Amino acid sequence: MNVLLIIIFAITLIYLSMTERFPIYAGLIGFQGALLFVLSFIELHAITPVTLIFVALETLVFKVIIVPFLLFRIISKTGEARVHDKAMPGFYSLLFVTLGLLLSIVVSFSMNTSPANMIYFIVAFFAVYTGLFMIISHKKIFSHLVGFLVIENAVLLLSLAIGSEMPMLINIGILLDIFVSVLILGIFVMRLKQSAHELTMLKDD
Amino acid sequence: MESTILLIPFILSFFILVMPTGMRYFYTLGVAVFLILVTSVPATEALLHPANAPRSFIAGGSLGSITFTVDSLTAFFILITNFTVLTGLLYSNGYLSSYRTTKTPAQFALHYFSYVWLHISMLCVLMLREGTAFLIAWELMAVSSFMLILFEAEKRTTLKTAVNYLIQMHVGLVLLIIGFLLVEAATGQFGFDGLQSYFAGYANAPLFFLFFAGFAVKAGFIPFHTWLPEAHPAAPSHVSGVMSGVMIKMGIFGVVRVLTFVQYDAYIVGIIIMILATLTGLYGIMMSIVQTDLKKLLAYSTIENVGIIGMGIGLGTIGIGSDNPALTILGFGGGLFHVLNHSLFKSLLFYCAGSVYKATHTRNIDLLGGLIHKMPRTASLFLFGSMAICALPPLNGFISEILIYYGLFAGMQVNSVFQTMSMLLTIMSLALIGGLALFGFSKAFGLAFLGLPRSEIHVDDNAVSHGMLFPKLLIASIILFTGLAPMFLLAPLLGMIGSQFHLDSGQVILPLIHVLSKISLTGVILILVVFAILILRRKVLKPEKVSHGPTWGCGYTAGNARQQYTATSFSANFAELANPVIAKQIEYTDIHEEEILPGGRTFEVKHEDVFNRTLNKITGYSMLVLKKIARLQTGNIQHYIMYAFIFILIIFVLLYLNVL
Amino acid sequence: MGFLLAIVTALFFPGIILRVKSIASGRKGPGIMQPWKNILVLIRKESVFSTTTSYISRIAPAVYLSTVICALLLLPFPGMPSWLGFDGDFVLFAYLLALGKFLFILGALDTGSSFEGMGANREALYSMLAEPAFFILFGTLALLTGQTSMDQIFGSFQFSGHNSFIIGFIAVYLLVQIAMIENSRMPVDDPKTHLELTMIHEVMILDHSGFDLALIHVGTALKFAMYGLLIANFLIPVDAGQVLMNNEYLTINIGSGIKNYIGKEWMAVIQIGIYFFVQIIFAAMIGVLESFRARKKLVRNPQFIVTLSSIAVVAFILVLLITFKMIG
Repeated sequence: MNVLLIIIFAITLIYLSMTERFPIYAGLIGFQGALLFVLSFIELHAITPVTLIFVALETLVFKVIIVPFLLFRIISKTGEARVHDKAMPGFYSLLFVTLGLLLSIVVSFSMNTSPANMIYFIVAFFAVYTGLFMIISHKKIFSHLVGFLVIENAVLLLSLAIGSEMPMLINIGILLDIFVSVLILGIFVMRLKQSAHELTMLKDD
Repeated sequence: MESTILLIPFILSFFILVMPTGMRYFYTLGVAVFLILVTSVPATEALLHPANAPRSFIAGGSLGSITFTVDSLTAFFILITNFTVLTGLLYSNGYLSSYRTTKTPAQFALHYFSYVWLHISMLCVLMLREGTAFLIAWELMAVSSFMLILFEAEKRTTLKTAVNYLIQMHVGLVLLIIGFLLVEAATGQFGFDGLQSYFAGYANAPLFFLFFAGFAVKAGFIPFHTWLPEAHPAAPSHVSGVMSGVMIKMGIFGVVRVLTFVQYDAYIVGIIIMILATLTGLYGIMMSIVQTDLKKLLAYSTIENVGIIGMGIGLGTIGIGSDNPALTILGFGGGLFHVLNHSLFKSLLFYCAGSVYKATHTRNIDLLGGLIHKMPRTASLFLFGSMAICALPPLNGFISEILIYYGLFAGMQVNSVFQTMSMLLTIMSLALIGGLALFGFSKAFGLAFLGLPRSEIHVDDNAVSHGMLFPKLLIASIILFTGLAPMFLLAPLLGMIGSQFHLDSGQVILPLIHVLSKISLTGVILILVVFAILILRRKVLKPEKVSHGPTWGCGYTAGNARQQYTATSFSANFAELANPVIAKQIEYTDIHEEEILPGGRTFEVKHEDVFNRTLNKITGYSMLVLKKIARLQTGNIQHYIMYAFIFILIIFVLLYLNVL
Repeated sequence: MGFLLAIVTALFFPGIILRVKSIASGRKGPGIMQPWKNILVLIRKESVFSTTTSYISRIAPAVYLSTVICALLLLPFPGMPSWLGFDGDFVLFAYLLALGKFLFILGALDTGSSFEGMGANREALYSMLAEPAFFILFGTLALLTGQTSMDQIFGSFQFSGHNSFIIGFIAVYLLVQIAMIENSRMPVDDPKTHLELTMIHEVMILDHSGFDLALIHVGTALKFAMYGLLIANFLIPVDAGQVLMNNEYLTINIGSGIKNYIGKEWMAVIQIGIYFFVQIIFAAMIGVLESFRARKKLVRNPQFIVTLSSIAVVAFILVLLITFKMIG
């Protein structure tokens, strides 16, 4: 069952790299959060129930509810709905993303990962690569934000893989979540309300 | 006795130069046929009995002796070479007939002489094992093909291209010489026989890649391919057909010959060959799609097919390295079978392109169109060749590609993640190459032969004589035969591979016969179903139900022939996707805002070979440096005496300092 | 057996699509057999040939139809071997369809009209981009099951591990998309558009009429049925005893379970029943997708098609892990 969820996660990453509309970005981030929520239940059965409930609730509340809500608020406030001005056309970004998939396979196999964790590692590296690639190849700040959220999801996925051995790692990942959603998104929503166009484009445009 | 028979054609060929004009062609044909018969008999015997020891002929007397050895690998290539050279010679009579008014008999004589010597040198390359003799034959091959390309030397581009070709061939020759010298320094034998002992004792991979680089210049792997797309259009069509069909394969022969001696490191060598070949295939077909010159398109397609052959060879080498006999036999089998198939359909395509050039005096697809009505037989043969080169069933290109696919599938079922992944990537690339080839050849055939003529080119109806048609039909029938009944030619080939690499080919051949017979059965069913539907159609479409009219095109009749798709526009959507690889350049001066009544403009789109560009940059820099050094050549003898004096002074100083 | 079933399916497949689309637009819609009645009318109609065309236009529809028929002969039906199956037959399958497309494109270029050239151009590009996805998918399946002939792949597919159903879903999704691309349906091409500049497949057949056009329609219907048969192969449960077994993951054994419960003859009936069910759902789904989805911008189509290859690579990763025993 967890394999199915991780494969769906990988497919959402491919879809994320090829789509062009911000509402779809926000929806996909929420969907990924939901997948991670279900996955955390399945994977983390070895730690104490209290920690488990905390992790699951946090994932649910922050990743599935608050973050997409804030993203949709930003979209409606700034009126930006499309990804214009990509640095490279969609065809090449898709080729690079496929390349990233192959690279993550090679990297994961050459490390000494245990077989049970292999698929987590592959998809987590792929997610990091996709997130970084989104940040590099897009010009609008909203896309950079989504890229950072993808990297964050990747960190949580990886910590789920080895979480049974190191519960503290998950707590650190969750703190990262809270940090991002409260501080950065809050700041953005506040600032973007005041100066609608200044922060949506990079200065050198 | 047979050895002296081999030398007779060498001597006879010199008489071509002195033959009277009327008899010259038939005399050349006679010499060529004689040579073919003399070499094909031992070749066939060696191919059918690969387990026998190779036959050697020692020719010569008091001045020393040359040993010609025919073993099964040589035999396979000899038969391919003989056939394509023969068809080329048969075709050349009709093709060159239009040059009789513009070229002197001496030029014709030289041309035919070079042709026969190209044939002789190719056979010598195949049969000679000893180092000096092999290198001399290799050089002769380069020089004779140089003379052949220069048939239209009055054109400046032809001259430049031929010199470029000669220089690149010499670069390859130098690499081969270095390789042989290294072998001699280590083992004392100067030739292929020294490789056996060299590879037993020293590192295999570096020397192999040295030889590979030398042979790759001839074969056309990237990045050594830059001479190919220039030389093939510049040469007359029968020469292009022979060069593309068999001369390139001499490089492949060299690579396979060296591979038969490799004992260690075969795995990594195979992986590198396969990667290089995949890149070659992809690059070749991508550049082929965007060309507008018909023969340049075919030349880049040759590079693509060399890539496919290299994939098969790399796969076989991986099989040697990982001790997988099935992989070895399937890989080499697919690669070498593609050698045979490619020589067939590429020579056919070049001959058809030659007929088009002879009839219309242009190779530019943007000016052609509608030729199928004026030249129906050439068009049908070009279609046949295109279907074969795109590996469409039931023709022979499909058989060689499916052999390579079998090898790739067999290579996937191993315990190494790396190998499984690389096999899958190669499968994906081969599928992509197949799709791209379809794109390129539907463009080549569809735009040049179908539709309406795109310009006022006059088509000479009587350009293609029956003499030119016969060799094409011969090749086409062999293509069909090989496609429907491949086992006749494949069984000796697989036996040859088995004996060369010391494997038992029986276990691979038996299941392969079963599979290939099913493929042939499907091919036959396909042809029967097509005929059945066509007969049904003939019955249904009675003459009163058929009428003719202009093209409807959804009621859009305002356009004329100039609005059809051109070569550039057909490949434009692909060119946009592949822009980093194919380097589109547009030459156009924009219309400025201040120009109220703009003058005439020309627009040109070019796709430059990126390797050529790099090569030009390197030679450009070296030219700059060399020009600076050339200032030392003042032409003044006092300066030269001064140089000698300075040199003696330096030697004196070095002696004094005890350095020398 | 699969061949006959496919022919039967082809009879009602286009009709179901048309009917579903009509109902989705609020109309009642034509009968299920209406497309075939149209084909019969076309056979009786007169043919007009363009003076620009040559024999290529005359033979292209016939070759197109014959390649579809021969490709159909290669496909297996679960539990019964195909008539012409052999190792590596999916390569022949792909290249036979490529042969049909090649001549179809040439038939379009034959007319010398720029509209048809446009359609030929786009069709060549999209079919070229869809080839790698097909080959990666089948290469992955060959790796998973250790077999290379289609009937053995499908036979042992369901027994290849706990997670083979994920591969099955990805394969079905990819094949549905490839089928939509090959048959020129949404979101790559809209069959109902009347703007020539936006057509791909429809514009290539503008100058075919009468019997030739009938042949093309029959070929299209058979092609749909063929892809439906391919998809159904993934979804029909197979009895373990009916096919060759090559690996030890006999865990998902629904097929044997059903057979032991109801007996061999009823098993075949159930399989045929599921087959028809799958085909009808497939046709209905195409109708629904066409009614509610817009055609993508033409410049985005290559990107969409390459996405299929990326998803196929994801399936490959999973199979790689299964083969190296990292997941069950």
